[in-house]
Amino acid sequence: MWGQYSYGILVVMVAGVIAFYALARERDDLHKLLLLDLVEIVALGIIALLGTDLAEALILPGLTVGIAELLALSQIYCTKEGIRDRPVRGLNIEVIAKADAPLILSIFLVAYGMVLSGFTGGGVAGLGLVFLFISRTYREDLNLLEMASGISWALWIFAFFIFMFLPQYWFVALMGAAIGILLKVTVKMSLVGTMWGEQHD
Amino acid sequence: MIDLIGGVPLFVLEFGDELVYFTPYTITLFLLALTFTLLVLISRPERQIDIAFGSDAYRAKEISVSEMRFRRFMAIACGLATMGAMVTGDIFNFTLFTAMVGITNVGIVAAVKSKHVQDAAYQYGLVALAATVPLFAGAAIYAAVTGSLSMIELMKGTVPAVPLIAKGMLVLGVIGEGMAPFYAAKAEMFRAPGAPYVIMCSLSSLLIFLRVVEIVMLG
Repeated sequence: MWGQYSYGILVVMVAGVIAFYALARERDDLHKLLLLDLVEIVALGIIALLGTDLAEALILPGLTVGIAELLALSQIYCTKEGIRDRPVRGLNIEVIAKADAPLILSIFLVAYGMVLSGFTGGGVAGLGLVFLFISRTYREDLNLLEMASGISWALWIFAFFIFMFLPQYWFVALMGAAIGILLKVTVKMSLVGTMWGEQHD
Repeated sequence: MIDLIGGVPLFVLEFGDELVYFTPYTITLFLLALTFTLLVLISRPERQIDIAFGSDAYRAKEISVSEMRFRRFMAIACGLATMGAMVTGDIFNFTLFTAMVGITNVGIVAAVKSKHVQDAAYQYGLVALAATVPLFAGAAIYAAVTGSLSMIELMKGTVPAVPLIAKGMLVLGVIGEGMAPFYAAKAEMFRAPGAPYVIMCSLSSLLIFLRVVEIVMLG
């Protein structure tokens, strides 16, 4: 076990050294940011090497912090370079916009997400919806989606109360929490997909 | 227990995974962060004045209320993150709070509509982002070697000794997030107008550096 961990950490360290070397040579600000995003993955690799439940619980906040910093920096980059009024209107690729492929891929991802359930399932299903929304330029009523997200979040919290106060019904609570978080993450991610490129007004 | 830099914990709160404790050392740092956050909350920001060199001419810089509001929010968030980093007894929570100090430090000056300040903030943000790698990696090696992230367990001395590389990575991460002993690197950021908020950048990085000194001496 210790041997595997040591080899793993050696590989990660080598990857880190390569990434930082690239970073030291890079001069373009935007490319530096992209390289740093790659380096972040290395850090998550070191945590993942623990291979325990604890590691899984630690990766998520680590990932969140990384994404938060990335978003903040890209916002500063846009402001300092004066990049404005350039909305992205979906993926402007004719093949993707016309063909059935995005629909089939999305259905596959959503179905697979349902099977996985829980947070991971929500992520996979949400990714499917994001892909569908950005390949077709939909104009949806976002209020309904937001409401669905709120209600499923309430379901998740309610399931936790069952865990706390009625532990003998743990199976119901488990199912409720799994479905609640599945719906919530799915809806949240699809909201990201639809809000893509919209103007702030 | 005698050679602990922070002294014997006066109060330990163990609530599931969340572990909070106060020693005479951390309580001092916590109170400092709290006082300064309250100061930020109630004080009115400065009006920066440029004086033309060699003459009597001067001009005051106009700063919009919305910009100031955003910066005050960021400064308060930075204060809260600093307080969290001071009292937490969990290595990983400490790294998360430290990373949040890094983000909010950038946020405090990011709203300033000035090219050189934004350039400095961006470069500093890149360093902070890179520093999350050794920061989280250090915490992960702590967990791998000792099997625990609790500082109270480290204090007891019953867990295996933490390797020097883990401590080094943790310190390197904190230095990158806060630039603690290298304030010159942040000089351009300090030129941003808005006195009490900008000082928060400096104070928070100093405090997290002082705290990591205590953490490194534990294991």
